[in-house]
Amino acid sequence: MTQRSLRTASRASIGCARVKMASSFWKGVVGVGLFALAHAAFSAAQHRSYMRLTEKENETLPIDIVLQTLLAFVITCYGIVHISGEFKDMDASSELKNKTFDTLRNHPSFYLFNHRGRVLFRAPEQEPSTPSAQALPSNPLRLRKLENYH
Amino acid sequence: MSSISELYDVSWEEMRDKLRKWREENYRNSEQIVDVGEELINEHASKLGDDIWIIYEQVMIAALDCSRDDLAWSCLQELKRQFPDSHRVKRLAGMRLEALERYEDANKLYDSILQDDPTNTAARKRKISILRAQGKSSEAIRELNEYLEQFVGDQEAWHELSELYINEHDYAKAAFCLEELMMTNPHNHLYCEQYAEVKYTQGGLENLELARKYFAQALKLNNRNMRALFGLYMSASHIAASPKVSAKVKKDNVKYAAWATSQISRAYQMAGRGKKENKCSVKAVEEMLESMQITMS
Repeated sequence: MTQRSLRTASRASIGCARVKMASSFWKGVVGVGLFALAHAAFSAAQHRSYMRLTEKENETLPIDIVLQTLLAFVITCYGIVHISGEFKDMDASSELKNKTFDTLRNHPSFYLFNHRGRVLFRAPEQEPSTPSAQALPSNPLRLRKLENYH
Repeated sequence: MSSISELYDVSWEEMRDKLRKWREENYRNSEQIVDVGEELINEHASKLGDDIWIIYEQVMIAALDCSRDDLAWSCLQELKRQFPDSHRVKRLAGMRLEALERYEDANKLYDSILQDDPTNTAARKRKISILRAQGKSSEAIRELNEYLEQFVGDQEAWHELSELYINEHDYAKAAFCLEELMMTNPHNHLYCEQYAEVKYTQGGLENLELARKYFAQALKLNNRNMRALFGLYMSASHIAASPKVSAKVKKDNVKYAAWATSQISRAYQMAGRGKKENKCSVKAVEEMLESMQITMS
């Protein structure tokens, strides 16, 4: 299983580089949007002070500032949605469709270690060269070396 | 022996991400974790930064599974050096003692953790695991029940308790534990299915009906759950074959069983599409379904 899973991981790395370039584009978009928003805010403040100076308080904000604000807001939102990563499904049960008992049954806080892996994976130990006189090893499960029985 | 990164042509970032996936989804593929993790630790320790400590923990537990006591000891030493007074590291030391079957020493260690911090759940769970490893299931069950009275929301513990009860053939209490899990995870089809299986095992007409309903619920949540499909077929067939049911119930259940049969055959046919043994395997499935017919004894 490692083979297949690691190979798909290596293929994903090539796609990963492309994704990184794309995400820096969207980061640029978010930056531009925020800058435009700040610029619109600054112009609105300037317009307000101009109104106060020329005592024409009844004039509304010029339409281009309003349009710039709205457009910058939309661009920023759109860019953030692209940066923020994968959306999850709305259906709560759909991401569980691939889960199996293999992983659900494992409780890491309750792992036991007295399983056959302790013996199966043990490195083969050197046994003395008198097999017939040798008493049975104390652990009946211990794997014996076959050549001792020739 | 060539390294993993040469064999599979992966970079260290992918190996690290793979380890993270295995850690988050509770995979217990210890051989692979040891292979991948050992190489990451030996070759790429400097690039991992702070991730390395959690990788040490993961590799240490996997090494205990694979009887690699040398690797486990070295990981533990690194962690002890970095976090000298940590309860989490003490717990890992206790786990190593458990793997070496030195249960009294491990128990003393966990008791010292609990003296320092009576609310430490990890140490309590390890003490319960020691009881289980020593074969004292009834004490383990009692301790786990006391633990769950205090920490009612611990899903892992509820599932562990249900497993303990199933091992003791106490299916009613196992069903209760699984009900708790189903309440807190209503969209998890696996808990529904396991509950239905426990009810099916208990037997009796009401339990079979309940089992059939929960198998159907599991299928509603995930229509690719083959075990639930087979369970639906078996429970419906059992109910239909029982002598105590009315004719209408019998007819309904025969219909359910027939539906389940058609779904099973269809699933096997879809799975075998494009493979040349498809015809033989489909025939084998039909024969198997026929042989699973419940006969009246």
